[in-house]
Amino acid sequence: MKRKVTSAVLAAAMAVSMLAGGSVAKAEASEVEKIKIYVPTSGASEDIDNVMAAVNEITREKIGVEVEFKPFEFGQWFQQYSLFLSGTEDVDIIANYGGYLNAVSQGAAYDLTDLVQEYGQDIIEMEGDFLKSGQIDGVQYAIPIYASYAWTMGIIYRQDVVDELGLTEQVAEVKNLEDWGDILAVVKEKKPDMTPFVTNNGNTAPNFTYGLWDDLGNYYGVLMNGGETTDVVNLFETEEYAELCKVMHDWYEKGYSNKDIQTQTDAFPVLTKNDAAFSTIGQTDFNTAYYQTTTCQKEMGAILLDVPVARTYNNVTYTVMSNTEHAEACMKFLNLWFSDEELGNLISYGIEGEHYVLDENGMGKYLEGKDATTCAYHLGASISNINRIRWESENPEYAELLVESNTNAKKSAGLGFGFDTANVTNEITQLDNVCSKYQIGLESGALDPEKYLPEFNAALKDAGIETVIAEKQKQLDAFLGK
Amino acid sequence: MAPLFRNGEVTGSMNKKTSFVKKVRKYWPFYVMAMPACIYFIINNYIPMGGLILAFEKYTIKGGIFGSEKVGLDNFKFLFKSADAWIMTRNTLLYNLAFIILGTFMAVFVAYILHEIRSSLSRKVYQTLILFPGLLSIIIVSYLANALLAGDTGFINMHILQPLGFEPISFYSEQKWWPFIIIFVRLWQMTGTNCILYLANMSAIDPGLYEAASLDGANRRKSFMNITLPCLVPTIITLTILSVGKIFNSDFGLFYQVPMNSGALIDVTQTIDTYVYRGLLNTANMGMSAAACFYQSVVGFVLVMITNAIVRKTSSENAMF
Repeated sequence: MKRKVTSAVLAAAMAVSMLAGGSVAKAEASEVEKIKIYVPTSGASEDIDNVMAAVNEITREKIGVEVEFKPFEFGQWFQQYSLFLSGTEDVDIIANYGGYLNAVSQGAAYDLTDLVQEYGQDIIEMEGDFLKSGQIDGVQYAIPIYASYAWTMGIIYRQDVVDELGLTEQVAEVKNLEDWGDILAVVKEKKPDMTPFVTNNGNTAPNFTYGLWDDLGNYYGVLMNGGETTDVVNLFETEEYAELCKVMHDWYEKGYSNKDIQTQTDAFPVLTKNDAAFSTIGQTDFNTAYYQTTTCQKEMGAILLDVPVARTYNNVTYTVMSNTEHAEACMKFLNLWFSDEELGNLISYGIEGEHYVLDENGMGKYLEGKDATTCAYHLGASISNINRIRWESENPEYAELLVESNTNAKKSAGLGFGFDTANVTNEITQLDNVCSKYQIGLESGALDPEKYLPEFNAALKDAGIETVIAEKQKQLDAFLGK
Repeated sequence: MAPLFRNGEVTGSMNKKTSFVKKVRKYWPFYVMAMPACIYFIINNYIPMGGLILAFEKYTIKGGIFGSEKVGLDNFKFLFKSADAWIMTRNTLLYNLAFIILGTFMAVFVAYILHEIRSSLSRKVYQTLILFPGLLSIIIVSYLANALLAGDTGFINMHILQPLGFEPISFYSEQKWWPFIIIFVRLWQMTGTNCILYLANMSAIDPGLYEAASLDGANRRKSFMNITLPCLVPTIITLTILSVGKIFNSDFGLFYQVPMNSGALIDVTQTIDTYVYRGLLNTANMGMSAAACFYQSVVGFVLVMITNAIVRKTSSENAMF
């Protein structure tokens, strides 16, 4: 009994001393600011603690910041993203996929205007004018990663199938969607198990999400022809849109697409991987064939339907939460992450030798016997900037080509404009509902545009699309300093 | 405290107070027993009601729940402004009405059939089989439905209509089938769960009543109508009042996932919940979603009160309160 009591006392004493020790250590480290960052990923992250230890060694020394990454599966991410924005999570930096406007309209994005000038010199130097795509009304809310700004709508297809069917030369001649219809006819005949045309995103997003126009943040009011002029017009009433819908419906009628295309739930890469789909339309630029070959794990090709144009839309941006206490540390970290190659490699690929190795060309690859599913850490390149080594599946000259493409691209008149939806929330709620009724059906070809396009436009008018377009034009004019 | 008891000049409210104290003293074990449930309800159901204030403000992180800018009834506008307001209200109400009526009917019917099975083994097997769909996630249900209904590969089109020489039906773009499909899926899924309560109720009926009835020459139909059904009426009424309270809510998965979010079906599948989801998915507006829930709850509350009042008038012993 006595011994038991003593041991209990000892244990308690130890616990107390550990507590004390812990608090001392904390006090010592208090000069290092700790920040947390949430990102979505499709890659592995089991070994994240080791990688973060390596990351923090660098960041502690260079900027006095410790960072903690919390990766989420994509599916989970999109479900929880709104929740993150509500400010209930203990997080400092948050990634935004498909625009950061909600973060701004909810007041969740920190005003980084001054901080980026003070601590973001490397970012400013690299991004140049494109940094504006993180600004609304002159306020820097988001830091975009240096991604491909110049793109256009295009056709993405199975190159290996084209070669197999002897269509290579004919495909090289394809200039528009009408020409593509002839290719689809051949594929339908010779590859009965393969659907010649599917939508890019299944029914989670409209088929023309990546259009020939600059959509200025949402579908309601766009600049046609990649932003040639500054007139905001109603996309759904344009001849171009009607023409696209007509082609899609024609393909649907001819059986090039599935009868249930409206309820297609799998995205193009999934279907392609399983040899179930031949082609789709989507966002294309200089790197599409490379990129799609990696994602679809088949040899892919791409045909751009127009000249690539640099525009507002940028897929990945980072915003600092407005309720953070470490805004400066966040900015310092983003600047370092986006410019320091060692850090870029660590965060994207992990520790060299443990999670990846370099091949003879200096490109990264998985360790012997490991792949994307068995590797212990590989957040991937899509969350990161270009200051990193190239992965073996990437275009070796990606970084140079990207800079060249972005620098020389035709620029949309609305480049850098961000639409603040605060004044038209009610209209947008209704418009989104109208769109969910017609847009996917029309853009996938399941609905006959002769009948449904006028109905769609009437419903949009009722829901107040003109108010939204007027508001957008007003904001765009103000942005352009008219 | 003690003098209050002895001295007769206590005021009404104090009297109440003391009697409560007295009650607590006398029945304290029961209060202790009820405590966990009370605490649970306070934390889980009452404290969050403070969040209803969200429905009346433009929520921002900086302002927080209580400090954000107040906008009055602005958040409610989107529910009524739209051309769809009528459609979604109609759908929500009619589908729920159908669920309540047909659901109760099916549950009682199935419970009665199960109750009549003599062999307890086969009764358990059947009951489990009927219950099983209720345990499936709605996503799985939607794919089961898809396997039956798909235009090119669906079972109905491929293996029933085509061999018989009928034109295939494109279920996901024809509205007329969906009221039936939705109701069928709902009944298929929920009947098993709903009939449990009735089954328990039936086994609690005194067998002596049936014996006496059969001695008097009552057949099965008669003994069902005159013994079983009257014994079930209180349960039916209670469950109906409870469902009426949720008549403005809908099972989101059933109306969004099962039709595979097909735009062509929106006129027959749009309910208040799917409207709110579709409208706010991209904008993630806290205030407006709170407003929609607030509206649903208030209407549900009013309807419960009305139904209960009607029940109290007609058969007061069956009213809930």
